[in-house]
Amino acid sequence: MFRGRRAWFSQSVSPGPRGLWVAGGGALTDWLDAEYLFSSDATHPDTRSIHESLRYLEGRATVFHSCYLSACERAGAMEKPSVVLGHFILPPACLQEEIRRKIGCFIWEQVNVLEEKPNGN
Amino acid sequence: ATSSSHKMADLRCSGCAAGGLSFNSRTFTKMLQSCQHRCDHHRVLLEAEQRYREELCQSALWSSSTHRTHDKIMLAPVRKDRLHTEK
Ligand SMILES: [Zn+2]
Repeated sequence: MFRGRRAWFSQSVSPGPRGLWVAGGGALTDWLDAEYLFSSDATHPDTRSIHESLRYLEGRATVFHSCYLSACERAGAMEKPSVVLGHFILPPACLQEEIRRKIGCFIWEQVNVLEEKPNGN
Repeated sequence: ATSSSHKMADLRCSGCAAGGLSFNSRTFTKMLQSCQHRCDHHRVLLEAEQRYREELCQSALWSSSTHRTHDKIMLAPVRKDRLHTEK
């Protein structure tokens, strides 16, 4: 399902999600060339520099949480994507607390909680 | 396991309704900005990001500005075309 698409992964992302992307036919590239930016930690220097880049200022560099890929796999959606990527936005670290106060915890925080449970679903 | 994401999809926000990979990191913000029916989740996100961008713009312009004669202009809300001329 990722065939022909190019993604960048922050060094904060564990090998799992990256492997899912590649297994789904996606390519890896640097962040300026990537169509999809994945990170698991907005405080990581490589992610922070994206959030401080001109491209982000222009609204052309939304970073998504890498657990989107795990969520796809869990939903059995690796063939046809049904998990809404738009729910997995990873905003700049300095905004997260404020956003959390207004809308509750992020979906990727809920997903992380689910991931910690070793349940066979 | 996907009930939490479906709950928000009910609100018909284009950021929520757009399935899978119909947008990407380059187009997502623009898509949200043009959405007329933003859900609370995406409205809060977008507003916070927009304010962050404006603050970042201002500090970037401040630090790159060597000519203080334009102080007043620099303090005005930053227009996008000052930063970049590409469409
Ligand atoms: Zn929405």
